[in-house]
Amino acid sequence: MELNGGSVVAMVGKNCVAIASDLRLGNQALTVATNFEKVFPVTDRIYLGLPGLATDVATLRERFRYRVNMYTIKEEREIEPETFAHLVSSTLYEKRFGPYFIEPVVAGLTSPERGSKPFIAATDLIGCLNFAKDFVVCGTASSKLFGVAEGLWEPDLEPDELFETISQTLLNAVDRDAFSGWGAIVHVITPEKVVTRTLKGRMD
Amino acid sequence: MSMHSFVARFSSSAADPLSLSLQSRNATQADDEDAGIPIELWGSQAGFGSLASQGGHSFAVPKVPNPAEFLRMHTDEHEGKIKIQHGTTCLAFRFKGGVIVAVDSRASAGSYIASGTVKKVLEINKYLLGTMAGGGADCQYWETYLGIQCRLHELRNGERMSVAAASKYLANLVYGYKGMGLSMATMICGWDKSGPAVYYVDSDGTRMKGDVFSVGSGSTFAYGVLDQGYKWDLSDEEAQELGRRSIYAAGHRDAYTGNTVNLYHVRENGWEFINNYDISKLHYEGPGGITSEGYGYSVRTAEQTSRSAENDAMQEVEGDLV
Amino acid sequence: MAQQRSFNPYTENGGTILAIAGADFAVVAGDTRQTEGYSIQTRYAPKVFRLTDKAVLAVNGFAADGNMFVKKVKQRLEWYKHAHSKDMPLQSIARLIQTMLYAKRFFPYYVYNILGGIDEQGKGAVYSFDPVGSYERETCRAAGAAQSLVQPFLDNQIYFKNQTGEHPTHLPLPHVLQLVTDSFTGATERHIEVGDGLEMFVILARGRGSQELEGVAGIREVTTSDERERVFVINRDLKRD
Repeated sequence: MELNGGSVVAMVGKNCVAIASDLRLGNQALTVATNFEKVFPVTDRIYLGLPGLATDVATLRERFRYRVNMYTIKEEREIEPETFAHLVSSTLYEKRFGPYFIEPVVAGLTSPERGSKPFIAATDLIGCLNFAKDFVVCGTASSKLFGVAEGLWEPDLEPDELFETISQTLLNAVDRDAFSGWGAIVHVITPEKVVTRTLKGRMD
Repeated sequence: MSMHSFVARFSSSAADPLSLSLQSRNATQADDEDAGIPIELWGSQAGFGSLASQGGHSFAVPKVPNPAEFLRMHTDEHEGKIKIQHGTTCLAFRFKGGVIVAVDSRASAGSYIASGTVKKVLEINKYLLGTMAGGGADCQYWETYLGIQCRLHELRNGERMSVAAASKYLANLVYGYKGMGLSMATMICGWDKSGPAVYYVDSDGTRMKGDVFSVGSGSTFAYGVLDQGYKWDLSDEEAQELGRRSIYAAGHRDAYTGNTVNLYHVRENGWEFINNYDISKLHYEGPGGITSEGYGYSVRTAEQTSRSAENDAMQEVEGDLV
Repeated sequence: MAQQRSFNPYTENGGTILAIAGADFAVVAGDTRQTEGYSIQTRYAPKVFRLTDKAVLAVNGFAADGNMFVKKVKQRLEWYKHAHSKDMPLQSIARLIQTMLYAKRFFPYYVYNILGGIDEQGKGAVYSFDPVGSYERETCRAAGAAQSLVQPFLDNQIYFKNQTGEHPTHLPLPHVLQLVTDSFTGATERHIEVGDGLEMFVILARGRGSQELEGVAGIREVTTSDERERVFVINRDLKRD
């Protein structure tokens, strides 16, 4: 997990969620790329963050794309965030004795029929789910993210305030981690739209 | 069994590191420690060994068959618990205008960045600088001791200690502890009667005179920039820019290097602290503030990218399917 | 195969300490929980000690080494006072701690020290040390089990890192005390080795009024001499789970 580095954080706000990650791809101490995104859209309303081994990031991205497409075809509707989280969990548990070195983070809103409720979840590398009500953190900077998020988060933040909170959490935490940083990207998901912003972070 | 004899059984005092094997398990050592409190610990003479007696230092050593192995097991080289902070990228080069010394300021303990404000240039005295890489405590402690010895040399001989002599003093000193686990890689820089000089000294006992040195985990990145820009005839500004730019390169690419650059210039009459530069600020804005160009290539190449339009088109299609 | 009897003299006792230097004050705080593995050894084991009216030392890591180290430092300070008829100045105490730690370079004290207090110019100062004596003067430092949780939060709130716009150069004392309390409650939430109680020492420079501390619950003064700097202790409860 420390080979490539990288961290992801997701937070719940008032009728919105936000998910953010850094942009570093490293090979131990060497920084190889500063534009390696780890957060991918699964549907219009669900985003998936994949911190950990870079090769598994690419593989899991494709596996989930396949499985979500199959779900959409069979069910003739979009997958709900909680269902997707369980899909992530079972996909990882399939590899229980030779796991993917990723600790995924799911962030999204339920469908309008179910009230567009915010949802976040994280799993460990073999699929143990954590349905948090406030925030989830993963990656090499996870302990730093815990500390700042615990200090800054409060319930019922509006989308703009949530953006500020999650940005400050990510930037300050990765500044204390040698394997994360070199830029950051934040997605704020609301019922109407998804706003993606790239942050100007420390490049060292 | 009292606490004292327990301590005595498991620790000993090594006055001379080379004669560790001759230590006997003498329980009365514990009594000595209480009764005859060594004079060195009184008042302000303490700490750096008694300067009056040339007895040298006395360090507590665990009474195990292999103390060096014990230390290695318990400090972070072996993923033991005691994480000693490690230094990272330092460079020094000499040119016609003296010596440029540039260092970063990050200290990491594993992947945690313990500090971004470490002073890795140690001001031994007004005309000698030493850099810090490896174990911070080893560098700080021994270079302070070196400063004391340089001052004594000045008082005894009426003239400044040369850089060669100072570096040799330090090298011989750490050689006495070779194999015991000291970790120190330093560059002793100064300007003496024979001109500007840079000596690389490390805890293996290496001592080398040279023109250009870079030390630490990010040294390869710094060498890349340093080697292509180095000339003897650099002007002061060009030399400072080269030092600063080299540390920036290391700070950007190396995970264990970063935060800020401390830049020093050693001239004939002593060293001068030029400035402290934030590496991230150098990336976006360059050294002169908003007016000069940022060092980061992403800043200089703006929106241009080598990604082909074809790839971009494919990404959009992907979006529809999902 | 021959049995190797190895000697492991160290263990980790958990806990977290922090210190913040203000313009004319310093705050040194530590939780009071002592653990070994998943067990709590005690809910009240102080980690922060008053050395002089100008200096407070917080120790964290291996409690036995920490307590012994504080005893030895206090002893050296007492000898200094007898020899020189005055208290040791803060920067000298810092250098003393370096040499005492380095004397055990080959059998280290497994202790992370943070020294906080008032320097000779009357300004707040914090010095932090690694186990073998490397030290630096700083404005704010957290150490211990939850250091990676607390330090980035303090970077953001004390140094205003990653924040644009105007920010004050010096923070007022009540705000700093609130930040310390928040840091520890956050660390208690997310780290098992932190909790039970919080002990904060506040050192005020000579001549600085103590009005802001009036009405703070549970405060008591521990200044010994009545000439100059003043030292206060504030106790708080933290979650005990």
